[in-house]
Amino acid sequence: MVPTVVLFALFVGGPILYAIGLSFTDWRGFGAATFTGSANYTRMFGDPVAQRAFVVTILYAVVMTVLQTIIPLVVAVLVDFVWNGLSVVVRTILFIPAVVSFVVSGVLWKLIYDPNIGTLNQMLKTIGLGQFAQPWLSNPATVLPSILVVSLWGALGLNMLIFFAGIQGVDPTLYEAAQVDGASKIQQFFYITIPGLRVITAIVVALNLMNGFKVFDIIYVMTGGGPSHASDVFGTYLYTLAFGSTSGSVPQLGYASAFSVVVMVLCGLAVLFQVGLSRRADR
Amino acid sequence: MTAELTTPQRTPAITAPLKSGRKRRVPLGKSLVALILIAICASTIFPLVWLILTSLRKQNTIFNGPFIPQHITFQAYPEAWSATDFGRHFANSAVITSATVLGVLVLSTLAGYAFAKLRFPFKNLIYVILLATLMMPATALIIPLYLELKKLGLLDSQVGLILLYVSGSAPFSMFLMRAFFETLPDELVQAARLDGAGEFTIFWRVILPLARPGIAVVVIFQFLSTWNEFLYANTVLQNTGSLPLQPVLFTLIGQYQTNWPLLTAGLTMAIVPVILVYVWMQRQFVAGLTLGAVKN
Repeated sequence: MVPTVVLFALFVGGPILYAIGLSFTDWRGFGAATFTGSANYTRMFGDPVAQRAFVVTILYAVVMTVLQTIIPLVVAVLVDFVWNGLSVVVRTILFIPAVVSFVVSGVLWKLIYDPNIGTLNQMLKTIGLGQFAQPWLSNPATVLPSILVVSLWGALGLNMLIFFAGIQGVDPTLYEAAQVDGASKIQQFFYITIPGLRVITAIVVALNLMNGFKVFDIIYVMTGGGPSHASDVFGTYLYTLAFGSTSGSVPQLGYASAFSVVVMVLCGLAVLFQVGLSRRADR
Repeated sequence: MTAELTTPQRTPAITAPLKSGRKRRVPLGKSLVALILIAICASTIFPLVWLILTSLRKQNTIFNGPFIPQHITFQAYPEAWSATDFGRHFANSAVITSATVLGVLVLSTLAGYAFAKLRFPFKNLIYVILLATLMMPATALIIPLYLELKKLGLLDSQVGLILLYVSGSAPFSMFLMRAFFETLPDELVQAARLDGAGEFTIFWRVILPLARPGIAVVVIFQFLSTWNEFLYANTVLQNTGSLPLQPVLFTLIGQYQTNWPLLTAGLTMAIVPVILVYVWMQRQFVAGLTLGAVKN
């Protein structure tokens, strides 16, 4: 108990305050830090890369949340619908990507997306759709959808299982009653399954929003934020600012910390959103 | 008709008579849905099958040749093993992961027990603070943590990395363990106390053995997230020799851009153990991850 609190204070609680403090300075990792007030935050508004990262982060989080809620929900209903044996096999297979690390799946998909020799382009050429073959990850128009596909691939099984568990908790007599009243499968889905899964849905939405706001690994591995910041999100941009001195630039720890604070606030909002949603769902 | 909606397990009494009546019809809907699901599974598994097949190809046949290689060769595996110093990094990952799992286990069971069954000042306040920060993303903490480790002289050491892992994940596991301990009846603790057992004896002899399922969930969740962690490992450790697998796999793609058999063999070696453990302990995995996700 006490050691948990101490460790926590040292490595979680403290750093949060530290990051907030740093975000008001111009510290570069050495020398003295000067208090610069909200200069970093003002700078953020004038920084075109930051603006872009903001839009991309929000877009990524929202699109991923929508896809990662609707698709797993539908798949979960389908999995619940088929024979038990098949359902077990499907659940096992769909979950496998969830145990593969983002580094491995990122590198793997990078090979698949490779512009010259990647499997995706090869396959498109084989089936006569060669005109759609393109440098998926270095074309600013396709880079985000391409990454979204990988995220969806990675987390579909997990989200589906959460919904599946939720469906098992819906009162079966409701379906029987609906059946007697002559409701179709589609009607049952919209009037029984969806309302019955409100709390679960709130959790999945909040979870995916949060994962979207803090996304880092998959983008860093696949594109590093490129091409020319087209897939930069807060996570990758702040990491480059603080640690990625590839261009020989000075680490901008103060400025990067300001992004940390924004990510914290966004995640906090996602939590509040979830608490609010589940309160409403409970009523 | 009910049988189509609810799995037989759930409403055996109702489904049994209906099922025999339904047998005459071909369950067209179910077959259709089954086909859709099989297609989804095929596309889910395809990248991994492709990964393994590519690792078994000869270097000169990766870019043309049919999907299923004509000549299978395991040549790329020993190459990848020595080129990446795989054994060493695998061992690093194993050491870091086991130390983290152990640390988290000790802290989270003790703290979870304290929160569930003991009384002490500021209990709720401390608990709420611990909870409120569960959602702190690694990207937001990495800068101050990096500076802090630097100050403590723990930068570039596995000890520093393990400390970050343990303190970052202990609150969450504690949360799980507390929820688990709370399901155990208070009478158990009281009876043991009446028998003159000390707090620690109660914890060690009475509570822990009962908490085995909860502990399994924590262990698996922690194992997987530590084994797969990339951001902290890539930032904190700079000495190549002490790196765990993930950062090494990340640098592979830069080094062996066109040697796909080697690249894919390296990736395969990294994921096969995890997938095997998953298939072996599937039930605990799924419980751990879904619970982890939901409670997070």
